[in-house]
Amino acid sequence: MADDTAATTTTAADTLEVASDDRREALLAVFSEHLGDAVLDSHLKVGQALWIRVATAAWGEAALVARNEAGLEWFDFLSAIDWLPSPYGRYEDSSVDVPFPPPMPERSSAVPGYAGGDSRLQVLASVARPGTDLRVLLKVDVPDDDPRVPTWIRAYSGAAWHERETHEMFGIGFDGNADLRHIYLPSEFEGHPLRKEFPLLARVVKPWPGIVDVEPMPGEDPDDDDDATVAEGSET
Amino acid sequence: MGLVESGKMPKPLTKLLNLSRKYSIWAYQWGLACCAIEMGAAFASPRYDVMRLGVIPFPASPRQADLVVISGTVTDKIVPAIKRLYEQMPDPKYVISMGSCTNCGGPYWDSYSVTKGVDQIVPVDVYVPGCPPRPEALLEGIVLLQERIQNEDMTERWAGDQDRPEPIVVG
Repeated sequence: MADDTAATTTTAADTLEVASDDRREALLAVFSEHLGDAVLDSHLKVGQALWIRVATAAWGEAALVARNEAGLEWFDFLSAIDWLPSPYGRYEDSSVDVPFPPPMPERSSAVPGYAGGDSRLQVLASVARPGTDLRVLLKVDVPDDDPRVPTWIRAYSGAAWHERETHEMFGIGFDGNADLRHIYLPSEFEGHPLRKEFPLLARVVKPWPGIVDVEPMPGEDPDDDDDATVAEGSET
Repeated sequence: MGLVESGKMPKPLTKLLNLSRKYSIWAYQWGLACCAIEMGAAFASPRYDVMRLGVIPFPASPRQADLVVISGTVTDKIVPAIKRLYEQMPDPKYVISMGSCTNCGGPYWDSYSVTKGVDQIVPVDVYVPGCPPRPEALLEGIVLLQERIQNEDMTERWAGDQDRPEPIVVG
């Protein structure tokens, strides 16, 4: 019985792999029809999801198209990505912290995600059609020298708070959204904490000590404990 | 109560008043994160039942409270509210800092938004360590605080925040 189920699932997955996705392709066609060349790139995962990257100037228009023409009436979220590799490396992997201030990584070492991208920062937003599994992730490049994109609040008023958060966390402006006060951070907070180069002051003052105080789990081989103690001693 | 202000409190009266204060602590709950669940268990559930210790955990306002239990992650944004809360409480007042986050930032020690210890804002009388502490740990903190109240010199304590005794650390 179990084998049968497994076989069926595999077949279904295989069918999905090769099958075309008419509904999502139709969605993409709606965007292409109304936005024209402003649709820069797209990525379709058959049966699962659709990514569309639009030109910066057409970002506000894309929201109106999504809501009014494509029937994607449910606004899920709006946020941003900083594609710059962290100058601090991955804290958890290093035994000690990187010296401060760290050397800035090369911009070119950033790898953009689905549907490509040319800028360091990207704004992304997810919208869906209620009652279906149709969902589109819209992306837009944020100009490096002037990080501003058009607002979405004319199409989805719920985007206002998301834009406020994206503004305080990434320092991205939203043209047309007049109320970009801090929403989570204290109003006097300086800096944009979700940008990769933002320093965590606690770590500057007191570096990450690496893994210390490793206690063996109950029932673990006590020999492992000895090894851990030796390793700890040699580090210090 | 001119006696306390004048500094001439008779010892038996101090003892009696301390006994009364000890067994009628009105505790304000200031739950900020997951520790508040353990605080709720300690304060509101029949299994732990803080009222048997003489603690009444439901004052209508900080102005009626003798004790505030700050439990959970203190962020920089809520700091002004905690400050105001503490200033609204009438003297003598006590603060229990419950959980690693409130004590020192805990797992959020390097966060950009978390205050690394509520003792940077208000004086703390009892630290309850743990992530989160069990309700028993909070109850022990309250019992230790009651012991301290029993042996307090009221004139000294009511004089102000100077010369505060060393804070108690549970465990």
